[in-house]
Amino acid sequence: MQLIGYTCSYIPVELLALTGFRPYRLLHGDVDSSKRGEKFVRVDACPMVKSNLDHIFRNQNDFAALVGSTGCDMSRRMLDVAAENTRIPVLVFNNPRTDNRTIFHDEIDWLTQRLERLSRRQFNPASIQNEVTKWESMRVELRTIDERRAANPSQVSTASFHEVMTAYCQGAFDRDVSICRERADRPRVYLLGSAITYESNAILRLIEDHLRIVGDFNCGLSRALDIRIQEPTLAGIEETYYGQPPCVFKRPDRRFIDHVRDETRRLNCTGVVAWTLDYCDAYEFELRKIERTIDLPVLRIRSDFSLQGSSQLRTRIEAFVEMLCSKT
Amino acid sequence: MFEDIAPAKIGLEEWSRQFACVSDDLIRRYTYYGNNEWGIYLSPPATFMVYGARELKKLKYDNSLAALRLWGFTFNESERLFRARQNGMRVIATMGDLGTVPVIVMAFPSCIPFYPDCTWWTPFFNESTVLLDKASELGVPEASCFVRSSLAAFYKRAYFPKPEALFASTGASCDDYSALMQMVQDLGHDLTWLEIPYRRQRHEEDDPEEFCGTEQGYQYAARFDNYLANEYRRVWDKMRALTGNGDTAELKRSIRKANRLRRLVAKIKKTAGQASVAPFPALEMMVVEFGNLYGYGDIDEWTDIVEMVHNTVSERAAKGTGVLGPDAVPIAWITPTADPLLLNVAENLGARIVETEYVINQAHVEIDENIDPFLALARSFMNASLIGSTSERVRRIRDSVNQGRIKGVIISNMLGCSHCAMETRLIEEKLKDLPVLSIDVPAPMGITEQLRTRISAFMETLR
Repeated sequence: MQLIGYTCSYIPVELLALTGFRPYRLLHGDVDSSKRGEKFVRVDACPMVKSNLDHIFRNQNDFAALVGSTGCDMSRRMLDVAAENTRIPVLVFNNPRTDNRTIFHDEIDWLTQRLERLSRRQFNPASIQNEVTKWESMRVELRTIDERRAANPSQVSTASFHEVMTAYCQGAFDRDVSICRERADRPRVYLLGSAITYESNAILRLIEDHLRIVGDFNCGLSRALDIRIQEPTLAGIEETYYGQPPCVFKRPDRRFIDHVRDETRRLNCTGVVAWTLDYCDAYEFELRKIERTIDLPVLRIRSDFSLQGSSQLRTRIEAFVEMLCSKT
Repeated sequence: MFEDIAPAKIGLEEWSRQFACVSDDLIRRYTYYGNNEWGIYLSPPATFMVYGARELKKLKYDNSLAALRLWGFTFNESERLFRARQNGMRVIATMGDLGTVPVIVMAFPSCIPFYPDCTWWTPFFNESTVLLDKASELGVPEASCFVRSSLAAFYKRAYFPKPEALFASTGASCDDYSALMQMVQDLGHDLTWLEIPYRRQRHEEDDPEEFCGTEQGYQYAARFDNYLANEYRRVWDKMRALTGNGDTAELKRSIRKANRLRRLVAKIKKTAGQASVAPFPALEMMVVEFGNLYGYGDIDEWTDIVEMVHNTVSERAAKGTGVLGPDAVPIAWITPTADPLLLNVAENLGARIVETEYVINQAHVEIDENIDPFLALARSFMNASLIGSTSERVRRIRDSVNQGRIKGVIISNMLGCSHCAMETRLIEEKLKDLPVLSIDVPAPMGITEQLRTRISAFMETLR
């Protein structure tokens, strides 16, 4: 089945699936592909964007279309680069940064029409309801795993959770999402920051050798589970995707900051791990404020996907754990 | 009495000597805010070096009276803003949109718009990293646009008075400035956010009736006009609440003034670009272009200055005289440089900048005077440089290449700037039949021999 690539948590996966193509979130990121991506963009572009460009270019026959959003400037421009270098049809969804429901709803209507034309299918209420039900049941299943991850003590590692979320992000319903129990009494931390790419599992495992990530606000992990569509209609999709906990790009950022603070409290976290990719402006600018607001120790990890500094990182994580333990 | 002599680029000392010929009457003739008592701004550029703009001693300037007025007026802006506040005027910060919101602000009596964004030149003119260091202390990553100095300027409260209102445009814009404006809000400023829509190109499958086009040929969904027009109405309402005034006839008048300035600048660019010899230096031309954003807060005086620049440029073009040699190689410059010295360097090494794309295309188009003013402003903004695709952005440069007007292109980038990172390769590709040099603007005082050699080698290839 051909893929329909997408880049943003605000793009309704149900609408993409209605085309008959498999929704595939563009979340690639490793050192080699990032390096290869520099064929298209400068070295100081986001490493994930570079990796995604490389992936798109090398697998262009797999993609029926790409759907992006204006959420992040580099992601938006990535679609421009893809359009110039491949023959894949590209649709860019105008995701407002400010509280502007009208634009969002109009854009969903536009996207629906364009996807119908692309797939030569008419999306009717029954097909929409069917697709929403299918994705919602997948999310319900994943939420039960997320709840076990969040339990105290935590029963599921985020590294394992990442593997099942990868299946969701790649639209792979046929994959087994069962997961083994990995109880841990290590310090409970919250993860936030740039997207967790498909190839980043090793970094999660490195962190969780010493800590247990019990919640997160990262694309590629649990953000998709914040989508809870009550009304299985186009209006229900619009309302739910618009009202999800806001992305760091939204202005003003108050609701995002409040959400992160509330989650760290709800999950009884004693610390936060902030994972940012090189040149990810949104998070780099916000970290100081996040630290101030949540009033928890923050371990900053900045990455270009390289594991060259893993020994150093391990030492930093150990020092962070010591600090957290000394506080409790 | 001062009379323009043979055009040349001269240094600070020479300007100071030449300034001795400027009569007191002439000095008193030119004032900002129309105030004869304290509104005088004509002074030799060396004055501003003494005030702290140390890079001025390295620059070369046009030797005309028009250029003297231009520099005196622009360097005087900080003083002007504090004067405005002292005299009961309202100082309004407009951020991120580069050219449209000030037209609304100027429709209100005694309201002075300014762009904190323009503080990005300050660390370079001042040869000082004070603002950049403060921005880092406040949490801004170092690998981000030099516009981060504007946050520090807000924090320090020494570069402009605290604005009575701030309008921050975000949306289909660069990430770092959006994040920076958020940090400005976190300093306690009352900030109004505005949404800039993305200019999506029309696809063959789209219903043509749902699309409209700008005079420059950009096509976009017609509903975006309405979104933007509503955002501008919010600015109007906010300003009305702030001032207790609000007459749309004044807005129309403000649009007419903006258009007059834009037309003048277009004529200058055209005349300068087509002249046999460059009649005006690139640095002053950049200052002229950026004046379209807001008339440096006094559009009447600025327009008068630009009128004088126009006369100077026209006269020189007619006589075939100018500030560069006839063998200077015509090039285009893409993305404005934060370090003004780079423009001087390029000219010294044989370049003549005849075409530019300084990410302010929206400030160069005329605003329709015959329709609803908010809709007209929205439509003019839909020509913006950074809200659409890269190929749209460089279309004008591409046209100049096709017409054989330019022989090379210099792109000046900033490390960590989202659009630079993503667009540069595409621009190189779009203009691949021409030599293109892509350079990173170094930190203040960072122009090295290596960079000069790169530009020099590039110019060699163009000859």
